[in-house]
Amino acid sequence: MKRLLLLLATFISVAGSITVARAETTLEKISQTGIFTIGTRTGSPPFAYVNKNNEWVGFSIDLVETSILPLISKKLNKQIKLEKKESAPNTRIPLLTSNAVDLIAETMSDTQSRREQVDFSLTFFATGAQFLVKRGTPIKGIQTIAGKRIAAQQGSTNAKIIRERVPTAKLLEFPDQPAAFQALAQGQVQAYTNDGIQLAGLKAKAPKPDEWAIVGEFFSYEPYGMAMRKNDSDFRQVVNVGLMEAIESGKYFELYEKWFGPKGEVPYPLAPETKRFLQMQVVPK
Amino acid sequence: MTYNFDWSVLWRGQSGLWLLQGLVTTIEISVVAWVVAFTLGIFSGAVRTVSITPLRWLASFYVEFFRNVPLLVWMFFWYFAVPPLLPQPLQDWLFDHGAEFWAGVVALGVYHGARFSEVMRSGIQSIPKTLFEAAVSTGLTMAQAYRLIIIPIALRLIIPPATNESLNLIKNSSVALTIGVAELTFQTRQIETYTAKAFEALTAGTLIYLVLCLAIATTMSQLEKRFAIPGMITKRQTGEF
Repeated sequence: MKRLLLLLATFISVAGSITVARAETTLEKISQTGIFTIGTRTGSPPFAYVNKNNEWVGFSIDLVETSILPLISKKLNKQIKLEKKESAPNTRIPLLTSNAVDLIAETMSDTQSRREQVDFSLTFFATGAQFLVKRGTPIKGIQTIAGKRIAAQQGSTNAKIIRERVPTAKLLEFPDQPAAFQALAQGQVQAYTNDGIQLAGLKAKAPKPDEWAIVGEFFSYEPYGMAMRKNDSDFRQVVNVGLMEAIESGKYFELYEKWFGPKGEVPYPLAPETKRFLQMQVVPK
Repeated sequence: MTYNFDWSVLWRGQSGLWLLQGLVTTIEISVVAWVVAFTLGIFSGAVRTVSITPLRWLASFYVEFFRNVPLLVWMFFWYFAVPPLLPQPLQDWLFDHGAEFWAGVVALGVYHGARFSEVMRSGIQSIPKTLFEAAVSTGLTMAQAYRLIIIPIALRLIIPPATNESLNLIKNSSVALTIGVAELTFQTRQIETYTAKAFEALTAGTLIYLVLCLAIATTMSQLEKRFAIPGMITKRQTGEF
């Protein structure tokens, strides 16, 4: 027994004292391996999802492929390959800090507490939380959810806000969007909360889109950014310049049209003020 | 670019309370599921050794069907596939009263019941057949022989593998987070959401599981010593561990 305890104590002290040693910068890592790895989602249309043809695509992925990847290749002077790994709200920060991925490009909201752990690119999309409900249910927004069963995505900012603002709501958190939607479809919950644009994506992809309604004013502000390891300003500069060039050259708006335009996967017109906000993030060359 | 550990996130704010709530839920779901699993396991394990063929087949079917499908699938099955088969008022009542908890209990209980069943069967089969014959020859019916002689002895014999199975059940209860049960692993993720400190939260969760399981393992090894049948289990040679 004594030996067992000693073993345990050793294990704990070793585990506690690990500092994740990392000598190289992200760009050095990419240069050495020739691979640029992003963490992205498989079930968040139209930002990142697996489509009918079993291809892993989306707006966030397109942005990386057309605007950031070529810039990295140019900067390192060699052809870099893009690799995609699945990330989820509760795995994305560990994926970054453990070096498994170099950039999170999906639907991650930039927040102050997350900025203590990771660095964010400039904002590439802005939305806010709403509710998806079966058409005709009495839920009209965050004021009307007291006592109701509400699904949210585990680890999302929306779940946090509901818990703080409406503690009487019965909040059920699911690890991913398909499970939460399934629960809504079957009546386990009466509403599902997520960022408005994601709900629009879900609704568009549902077997019968007309059965569903997105209700309520935005009850949060969700600026999407791409996350990377902290204190690596060279890499961050490449990512930001890539995004700025995309906005400035109009490439960003072409991609926006492709995914969110009238013929896109999820029609969602770009508000003039959002467009202005995106353009104002671009600093002069 | 090194990760800065900040262990104080574990006691700042509500983290401590969440971990405690998670631990309580883990224990609740595990205990209830264990009772289900143990009952199903003893019964079906015993039935698999009797000479009535249809009963044996039924028990074999239960074991093979439930242990050979992943637990995750069972979680989804009991939470998503079963409720629509119930009448609407019952569904609503269930959804308002923690359906996810009970779906988790049934999933864990039935799955581990199938595994307990094999443990029980191996325990019974390790008892010499002559003991059963002797019991029956004293005038006991088959059911009485099982209830009074065979099962009590088998229960003592299977303490080590049953402990193993019980610890598995506790750890597998974390799968219930996929259907929204706020158990211990769920709460460690919650802390991660609020503080963005993943490694600290996971370490805390790991240690709690470790302590919980070690405590049970130690208790069970005491129990094993106390209930060892002289002559049937050889005494262990060295007593270090």
